[in-house]
Amino acid sequence: MGKRRPKQPPRRPTVLEEEMSTVPKQQTIELGDLDLPQLVEVKKQLDEELSHLTASFGKLKQAQSRFQDCIDSLQNVKARATGSEILVPLTGSLYVPGELLETDKVIVDVGTGYYVEKTSDDAVKFYSDKVEFVKKNLDKLQETINTKQNNLRLTVDVMQLKISLGAASTSK
Amino acid sequence: MSLEARLEAATTEYQKLQKVDIANAVENLQKLDSQLQENEIVQKEFNLLKDDSNIYKLVGPVLVKQDKAEATENVARRLEHIQSDIKRMEDQVKDLTEKFEKKKVEIVQLNASRAQQTAS
Repeated sequence: MGKRRPKQPPRRPTVLEEEMSTVPKQQTIELGDLDLPQLVEVKKQLDEELSHLTASFGKLKQAQSRFQDCIDSLQNVKARATGSEILVPLTGSLYVPGELLETDKVIVDVGTGYYVEKTSDDAVKFYSDKVEFVKKNLDKLQETINTKQNNLRLTVDVMQLKISLGAASTSK
Repeated sequence: MSLEARLEAATTEYQKLQKVDIANAVENLQKLDSQLQENEIVQKEFNLLKDDSNIYKLVGPVLVKQDKAEATENVARRLEHIQSDIKRMEDQVKDLTEKFEKKKVEIVQLNASRAQQTAS
């Protein structure tokens, strides 16, 4: 239904995470203290989380534009006089002519199979609230994505440092 | 059973716990959580409605008119149901995590005694 809070990526406790959880508070762990395989594990996990979050972000964006579309359609219908001719879609490619009898009453899907009759103005407000709600979640999600991306960059940096250090010490 | 065999069995079980059991439970929990949210949103919407508002319920392809009181009660009951499901699922996750921890300890112990054996 696209109205859900962005889901957290599935938390699969890995051995590494278990080890990390013994350190008070996450994020306080020093990346430099980890060895390369552990870093690879961290990176893998961050990658997974990021792709999940980005997918959620896309879905939320879609939901937002769907709600916006509803607002646009409502305003379009409201502006017509009663008795206007419309084409009613039976399928995506088949239409029958119809006539608008009431332009101020619509039935809105409020979720879980329930529909509520509303006036156009109320419906517009309903969808505007939805858009706003989704927007708030999008902002929050964007923030999380940014933090994760920073973490990822940091991890990759440390990995590269370790690799170059390791190469230097073996070549000696 | 030899140490190796026991270690292997413990490791398999450990991985199954992690990859299958816990992951499934967590996924279920997330599904329930989104259901809970959707129902909460509907409930909030119902609370905003006037008493004489028309409410319809989608039954198959048709919309059936429903009493507001009945619909509200329905949603409330569903919320209750989902909440108890969530609680059950959370207990299950806790249970599995405990089992998981125990397995981990077991593996560490087996590893230690194997190291001892090879050293002696």
